[in-house]
Formats: sequence, C-alpha cells, structure tokens
Amino acid sequence: MIGARILKYAAFSRISAAEARRERSELYGRMVFFAVILGVFSSLWRAVAEAGMPVAADPKSLVWYLAATEWILLSAPPIHIDIQEAIRRGDVVYRLGHPASFVVSEFASGLGLLAVRAPFLGLTAFLCAFAFTGWTPPVSALLTVAPFGLAASGLMTALYLWIGLLAFWLQEVSPVFWLWQKLMFVLGGLMLPLELYPAFIQRAAAFTPFPTLLAAPASFVIGNGLVTPGALARQLAVWSGVTALVSFAIFRRAASMLTVNGG
Amino acid sequence: MNTSHDLAFARALLATNMKSAVALRGAFLMQALFMALNNFTFFVFWWALMGRVTTLRGWSLGDIQVLFGVVAAAVGLTVSLAGGVRHLGRFIDDGNLDTLLTQPKSVLVYAIGLRSHPAGFGDLLSGVIFIVVSRQVSWPQVPLVVAAIAASAIVFAACGIVFFSLVFWLGKVESVATQLWDLLITFSLYPEPLFGGTLRFLLFTVLPAGFVGYLPARILHAPSMLNVGILVAGAIAYLCVAVLIFDRGLRRYASGSRFTTFG
Repeated sequence: MIGARILKYAAFSRISAAEARRERSELYGRMVFFAVILGVFSSLWRAVAEAGMPVAADPKSLVWYLAATEWILLSAPPIHIDIQEAIRRGDVVYRLGHPASFVVSEFASGLGLLAVRAPFLGLTAFLCAFAFTGWTPPVSALLTVAPFGLAASGLMTALYLWIGLLAFWLQEVSPVFWLWQKLMFVLGGLMLPLELYPAFIQRAAAFTPFPTLLAAPASFVIGNGLVTPGALARQLAVWSGVTALVSFAIFRRAASMLTVNGG
Repeated sequence: MNTSHDLAFARALLATNMKSAVALRGAFLMQALFMALNNFTFFVFWWALMGRVTTLRGWSLGDIQVLFGVVAAAVGLTVSLAGGVRHLGRFIDDGNLDTLLTQPKSVLVYAIGLRSHPAGFGDLLSGVIFIVVSRQVSWPQVPLVVAAIAASAIVFAACGIVFFSLVFWLGKVESVATQLWDLLITFSLYPEPLFGGTLRFLLFTVLPAGFVGYLPARILHAPSMLNVGILVAGAIAYLCVAVLIFDRGLRRYASGSRFTTFG
C-alpha cells in the first residue's frame, strides 16, 4: 500500500523532471546568474580582505561558503508561482477530486525539478568557486555538504509550497515570497556567515528554519563548527515535520473553505 | 511620430494605470510595503559588513546607501511608469502587438505603458529613504538627485526594451531577457571599484550598470558637469538605440491573429 503510494507520487517527480530536462533555458539562466554572483563575491571578499577581514576565515573559504549556500538556494524550484496560478485560475478545484493529494503531488513535482537542477548547479558551483579561488576545501567537507545541501533544498521546496498555499487567502503571494527570501538571506546567512551579524540577529535566527537551510550545511566548508552532522540531521527532521504539519493544516482549511463557497 | 502627442498619450496611460492600481488599495499598499521591506532587509547585509570594515576600496556605508537608493528608485520609477517593459517579450511572442498596431499611437509607448507594478512604488519609496538616511545629499542637490534617478530609469527602460526586443529575432527567449535584466540590477547594486578590466568596460556598455548606478552615485557624491553631461548623453543614446531596435524588430513582427482589445 505504502509502496504503491510512493510509486504514484514518484510518477509526478518523473514527469516534472522530464519537463525540466526539456526546457533548460531557466536552468542555464540560473547557472549564468550563479557564476556572476560568485564572481562578484570573490571580488568583494578580496576587497574585504584588503580592508581587514572581520571573520576568522579566508576569502577563498568564504567564496566556497557562498557557493554552497547559493547552490542550496538556487536548486530549490520556486513552486509557489505554479501553485499560486493553480489556485487563482481555479484549477485546484478540479485537482481535489483526483486520487492524489494536491500538497504531496506538488511537492513531488518540486522534487523532480530539484533532481534536475541540483547536479547542474552543483557542478557550476564547484567549477566557478575553483576558478575564482584556485583552491578546493577538503573532500570530506564537500562530501558532507552535498547530502545535507540536498536535504535543505528539499525542505526549502516544501516551504515554497507553504507560501504558494497562502494564495488561497492572498491571491498574490509574491510580496510574502520577497520578504521570506530576504529574511532567508539575512537570518540564513546566505552571503555572510551568521557570526558576522549582530548578536540580536543571531539570536532571532535561532528561532527560524533559515540557519538550518543555509548556514548550517555550508558551515562544513569553512569548518567554523557551527553544527555537527548529527545535530543538523535532527534540525532538518524537526523542521521538515513542522513544515509538513503546517502545509497539510493550511490546505485542509483552504479546501474546506472552497467546499463551503462552492469552488 | 509626433513626440508631443506621444507624451500626452503616455500621461493618459499613466493616469489610467494609476487609477487601476489604486482601485485595489489593499493589494497596492501591501505590494508596495513588502517591496520596500524587501529592499531594507537586503541591505542588512551591507549594514553588517560595513559595520566591520568601515570602507571598501574607498566606499563607505553612506556611498553604498546612495547607490542602493538611486538603483531602487530608478527600478521603481521604471516599473511604475513603464511596467509593460518587463512583459514586452511575452507580448511580442504571443502576438499581442496586433491590437496595438491598429491604434493611431506609438506602439512602443503603448506596449510599455500598458502596465504599472504597485511594487515599483515600494522600490521608489525605499530608494528615496536610502538616499535621505545616507546623509550624503543636501537640499540644494535635490534637483540633481531627481535628474540622476530619471536618467538611470531611462537607461533601465531602454535596456529592458533592447533585452525583450530580442524576441523579435530569437523567438522564445523571454527567460534569457529576464535574466539579463536581473543581471543588470545585480551588478548595479555593488560598489564600482569591485570590478575592473574587461568587466568594467562591459558594465558601461553591454550591461550598463555604470550608467544605472555607478555614474549617478558618483554625481551625487561629487557633482561635476562633465559626469552629468556623460550621464544625460548616455541615457539619450541608450533610449535612441532601444527605439531603433524595437522599430527594426517591429518590421519583422509576425501577426498572432489575435482578437483582443485593451483600454
């Protein structure tokens, strides 16, 4: 029974992965953007080093830190846009009668996209970071970042799904996404390791999933001891559980509203 | 083409767009507010970094605030007054220009003036706040600030027209054009001294982040008639090139045989 369910949702992943492989222009665009961002930041970190590096890490490892955080961020597909459109157009009503959960099938489709994006963007991250620094972190660090980064991207996809579901009430979720994204940049330590931010921001970040998504997996590259692999696995499991519960609760409430309103 | 008629038409389009945007007051305010918050949150990165290193190759936090302010206000002005520029590619590809071609008005002015994005007003507001809090600009310089933002917005709009007009020749390249637009914004937001050599040349030509951000910021920091002249000449030149490219592209435009009305 469980095996059949997994196969059913795996089909959603396979279809979206096949679509992503065919329509590669967005992926190529992301790869170019990724290379540019790493180039800009390698220049920035060199300039910061000239001005006196304010953190116990060299510019090279900070470029690799950014390569890891951006890889996680850019690999996660922005599925909230498709979900928002499905809700605004009313397509979601027709999906309610299907023998597949809307929430799980959208998440499975997102994972299919992630499976296509992550390897290409990972390769871009590795090649560009190496080209800009002429150095690589220890292999053991890269091997630790890869699985945790993929898991974090998966969790980020689930959080985008959660934002998309808000379209049941807001219709337009872009403003929520922008703010969420920028909070992730700051509280997740996207561009700067969290220890560079003021203490109150570090304390606030600890109550959010953002460090678990970005700073913690990427911290293995700079070896700042922010978190151990075991602790990070626990944090990812807890936030995944919370995200799943909230997503299902939101959708259940929205679906009951739709039924009351007649769709 | 009659310029005074085009300007009168652009004013009428703007008035209609404003009425339409403000009609949904809640959505308008939310999008504008969230965009402003989005910009302030993004700036936390610079605030944290410059709190540690004071200057980056001669640039202080105030200089970066001016740069951010000019770029944010210029982007805001562009998408508020000429929001259709970001939809130009899809417009051309879908054959939606058919309806505009039958009108006795400039097709380009009509196409880019058809939409106004409420988020642009948030960009504009946050841009002005960044410039004010930078304490780099005094009251007598206000006309210069307005002129610098206007020139920067003209270059932004011109680049948008050029990037999205590529659809006339290359077909479905809207995502590439969007990436080019995003790259222009990305490069414009980082201090000029970070870039050198060929890249610096490209940033004043192909991807004119120099005219969008660096030069206006330099003028506000140390006003000089020479730089003002270069900025004005650059803005006019980019606009002329954009109009020329759009007109050339329009000759290649193939009808979509659509029956749609606007207004």
